[in-house]
Amino acid sequence: MPDSNPFADPLRFQRQVPDCAIVIFGANGDLTKRKLIPSLYRLAYERRLPATVSIIGTSRTKMSDDEFRAKMHDAVKEFLEDSPFDEEQWTGFAKSLHYIPGNLEDPALYTAIKEKLTTLGRSSVLYYLSTQPSYYAEVAERIGAVGLGHSDGKGWQRIVIEKPFGHDLESARELNQRVHSVFAEADVYRIDHYLGKETVQNILAFRFGNGIFEPLWNRRYVNHVQITAAESIGVEGRGAYYQEAGAVRDMIQNHLLQVMATVAMEPSAVYEPDAVRDERAKLLRSIHIMTAEEVPLYSVAGQYAGFRHEPEVDPASQAPTYAAATFFVDNWRWAGVPFYIRSGKKLPKRTTEIAIQYNMAPHALFSPGEGGVTMRPNLLILRIQPEEGISLRFLSKQPGSGMRLRPVSMDFNYGSSFGERSPTAYETLLEDALTGDATLYTRQDMVEASWKVVAPILDDWANRKFEYPNYAPGTWGPVAADEMLARQGHQWRNS
Amino acid sequence: MEEQLNPSVSAIDPEKILKDLRELWAQLARDQGAGGVLRACSMTLIAVSEHDDALDAEQARKTIGVLMHEHPSRAIVLTLREDGEFTGRVFAECWMPFGGEQQICAEGIEITADSEQTDEVARLLVPLIAPDLPVVLWCRGPRAFLDRSLDPLFPLANKIIFNTRAVRHPSSAIEFLKRMRKDGRQVADLAWTRLTGWREAVAHLMDASPDGWLAAGRSGTVRIQHGGARPGTRSLYFARWIERALPGVNVTLSPVAGDPGMHSVVFAGAGPEMSIKLGSKGTLEVNTGERVYSAMLPADSEECLMREELSILGRDPVFERVLG
Repeated sequence: MPDSNPFADPLRFQRQVPDCAIVIFGANGDLTKRKLIPSLYRLAYERRLPATVSIIGTSRTKMSDDEFRAKMHDAVKEFLEDSPFDEEQWTGFAKSLHYIPGNLEDPALYTAIKEKLTTLGRSSVLYYLSTQPSYYAEVAERIGAVGLGHSDGKGWQRIVIEKPFGHDLESARELNQRVHSVFAEADVYRIDHYLGKETVQNILAFRFGNGIFEPLWNRRYVNHVQITAAESIGVEGRGAYYQEAGAVRDMIQNHLLQVMATVAMEPSAVYEPDAVRDERAKLLRSIHIMTAEEVPLYSVAGQYAGFRHEPEVDPASQAPTYAAATFFVDNWRWAGVPFYIRSGKKLPKRTTEIAIQYNMAPHALFSPGEGGVTMRPNLLILRIQPEEGISLRFLSKQPGSGMRLRPVSMDFNYGSSFGERSPTAYETLLEDALTGDATLYTRQDMVEASWKVVAPILDDWANRKFEYPNYAPGTWGPVAADEMLARQGHQWRNS
Repeated sequence: MEEQLNPSVSAIDPEKILKDLRELWAQLARDQGAGGVLRACSMTLIAVSEHDDALDAEQARKTIGVLMHEHPSRAIVLTLREDGEFTGRVFAECWMPFGGEQQICAEGIEITADSEQTDEVARLLVPLIAPDLPVVLWCRGPRAFLDRSLDPLFPLANKIIFNTRAVRHPSSAIEFLKRMRKDGRQVADLAWTRLTGWREAVAHLMDASPDGWLAAGRSGTVRIQHGGARPGTRSLYFARWIERALPGVNVTLSPVAGDPGMHSVVFAGAGPEMSIKLGSKGTLEVNTGERVYSAMLPADSEECLMREELSILGRDPVFERVLG
């Protein structure tokens, strides 16, 4: 047999998802309705899924196959992103949907799944855990207990786990250990949907596909980096979850540290899953771990006024709905450059962006003049959402007599330069998992490294009593967050 | 949503055309009010339409209008006519992206010129090309294979897309493309693009039955059936592609009744026969020797084929290998 298919033409052929089954645990949940089934439908619409794929949903709710299909039909119509719904296409897709009701703690559920897979003749299976995180380990073990989860040589068995991967370092390690009792690490796909976003992937293209930026991507030129993930909405019915998780566990430990790793990592020698993930992991391990004395200086917790009145939220809750932190990377490229990261609910607008602020020009050649400016740092903005794109701010001469300078922005808009529709993060990540590409998935060592980074903050905050609320909805968070930057002579980019 | 401004005709002066383009953008901005429109351009696409009637140019315009959504470009539609008078006009293609709030617009230039004066046309086009972006030349018809009148246009382009579907001498057309490639030009042929669905089915067959392929690759035969009395470029490309991938295999081509193009391919070796046959309604019937299934052929409209080619602006090693 040849080493590789001599007929392969990766420039033109779509990646081929092999005949397989996808088993979704928690198929009656929000994630399945809002993201998973709409993404799978879209992949099928684009003929990126084989017509023979089987999608088996399972949850406690009693439903027939047809009732499940009807429910998913409505969900896809409602939540399909950036594309119209095609009733005829749905009819074909719906035939691949199956449903098995059952309790996650009941071994009979797993036996039923196994029987269904046998009936459908599927030896390659992707298990998707869209359940409460507390069930992850148990579900993995029960899959193993009925003889599933191990490849029999004919196909593959993979498991996708949604964040959070544990609630601290110790629990993350325990989860890994239990999952590994059934699935090899190479078959564990920890999903961080931020990494599936086109614009996050574009950071690598921007940095390593162009020659002019990387020479300026270091401590010599970069003054500091700000990473902001702001939500204008509150916890929106997720009060119980949010009260347990808080902003650090919900956003910083996973999404934003992964984004930071993508911004700051070294280039890998090749664009292959483990090569890229090795570099991300290396960067995460290079982040300075705060000492107990540093935590109050380099982190800020916040809670918006009104959070404690949200449904299912403790009226005395100490959960932060806002978190900001200053991280430093202990390596030659980034030594001394602050990375400011913040995430919060009920901020003025929904935006996720990375702002790289460059050092000022070393000498002010131009006098400000009336209405003009003399010095402004250059700013490179990588916008993740909405209006994905890249902007570079620099000074330009104002038209007219004299030499008056004004900041201008040079914009690249992702949507207008590539008129084609971008796949959603879940489409990308599901297709990757089905084809065995783990580049955009988080590895065990990355998860552990990021828990180590946030552990001192979580420990400190757990032992302090904050005077909440400390910011009003519609503002950019607590004043202390501004002060944290002011101590370094910086200020948040609030626009 | 698509919008076209009233085209303004100008004398054939590049400076005047560029000025018209600037005015066009200013007009679009005024028409849209606050927020304006997003101007998008990722390449220059020069489409050469060859017939004397206006329909051909109109069809090229329509196809470009569709392509703009995924490959926004400065489009130059060049109509060559015998004793044609030099004229130029500018236009814009605008559309509202699904769920978007701001129109995206791309610009275009229509030029008619004398087919005997392509040297002069080439000189005219140089300042009209969007700087620093790739240039794709799309020769829609067979003229490039009949005479040398389009040759002066070739050096303008990073990639030249031909269509050999209707050529009278397929082998000569392939030789021509091979020479172009050897001269360092990056060429594409929509007849090759039409084969993607067939080739993908073959690749999947290989994935499904690698052992069968091993046998076929050593001593097997591959029988290709095509419509028409003689094989067209598509069938010839397909045969070459198989030969390059499995050098030990014996490939034969034979005609069957029906439309020109690929009809079936049968792989015979030590194991069970495998085949792919043209089915109904744009499908392929695939027989792996163990099971039979249908595969959808991708749409082969002009815009679909062009869309695929415009997404490959670098080298295409598989096609280059097939050309030799």
